[in-house]
Amino acid sequence: MKSLALALVLTLTCLAAPPEIDKGKAVGNPTARVRIEIFSDYACPACKTFHEETLPTLLKEFAATGKVQIVSREFPLNIPAHRYSREAAAYATAAAKVGKYDAVASALFHSQEAWNASGKVWETVAAVLTPEQQKKVQVLAKDPAVLSQVQADVNYGTGAGINGTPTLILSNASQRYPVSGYALNYNLLKSMINDLSK
Amino acid sequence: MTFPSNRLRILSIVLRVILGAVFAYAAWEKLRLPWQLFAGAIGDYKILPEWAVNPLARTLPWAELAIGVLLMAGVFLRAASVACSLLLLFFFALMVRAFATGMTISCGCFGPGELISWKTLLRDGSLLALSLAVTWQAFSARSCGAKDFAHLRSV
Repeated sequence: MKSLALALVLTLTCLAAPPEIDKGKAVGNPTARVRIEIFSDYACPACKTFHEETLPTLLKEFAATGKVQIVSREFPLNIPAHRYSREAAAYATAAAKVGKYDAVASALFHSQEAWNASGKVWETVAAVLTPEQQKKVQVLAKDPAVLSQVQADVNYGTGAGINGTPTLILSNASQRYPVSGYALNYNLLKSMINDLSK
Repeated sequence: MTFPSNRLRILSIVLRVILGAVFAYAAWEKLRLPWQLFAGAIGDYKILPEWAVNPLARTLPWAELAIGVLLMAGVFLRAASVACSLLLLFFFALMVRAFATGMTISCGCFGPGELISWKTLLRDGSLLALSLAVTWQAFSARSCGAKDFAHLRSV
């Protein structure tokens, strides 16, 4: 019965439209048959590993060749150990508006342990921005539109059954599958992307 | 044949068909999704080497389907019920181990997305008990296939 309910929820979420794609957080071919949405929390160690070890290969093998579109989504976990995650997500989303999402996301993951302990998120973000970009990002990070964009990603992920990070949603025209844990192994991902591309 | 034994026979058939249907449903839930998702669920238990995960993910749902169909049909009942019990014993042991060690992973029972909890342990434990009862019945009585229905019609 529970599985039937889960199947129904998954079917309904498959029908629900995801939030609009932020072009500053998307790479690859927007008309590709397969889309990969990556739900991350910048304070999550497994997300750091995925970002630094698996994502570069995915970008090279699939996004750069136009086979997929990769979209980054925010999923700050609401737990005490990740109390600065939402602030980091707001800065990353703001940075996307000035074309610096990749640099900020990489910096946040790279210095994850430091800012998660000290709470100095802005110092990490500011280090990869010019003074002019810093001013814009600081304003944008408090903009209600940016904050609601972060929340929209969280709502979308929660509705799709995501309960941890990193989780990917792989989709083509008709199907949408949340992928996490061991299934984020590159060889399995590659195989699934190829199957969904057919 | 006395009335209580007829009722017992009907009950054993119903339970066997339910068990077979659960197995067939579990198989269908896995087969309708990309096999890589089930491979992920198997891999999350961290008990098998990487080379064994993919072949198991691609074959186990078919084995579940075969067991389910055989149980429902009452064909090769002893072999099917033993296979069913062994599989459920294996699954249950893995789930208990994962739960006891605090792993927050999907049980993989009916496809992805269902985390291991007391509820899943209770459900799979009940299925194991049911399967053991069906196995015991298969070995203690004559085969419960189509002949059962013919027998009941003649009562």
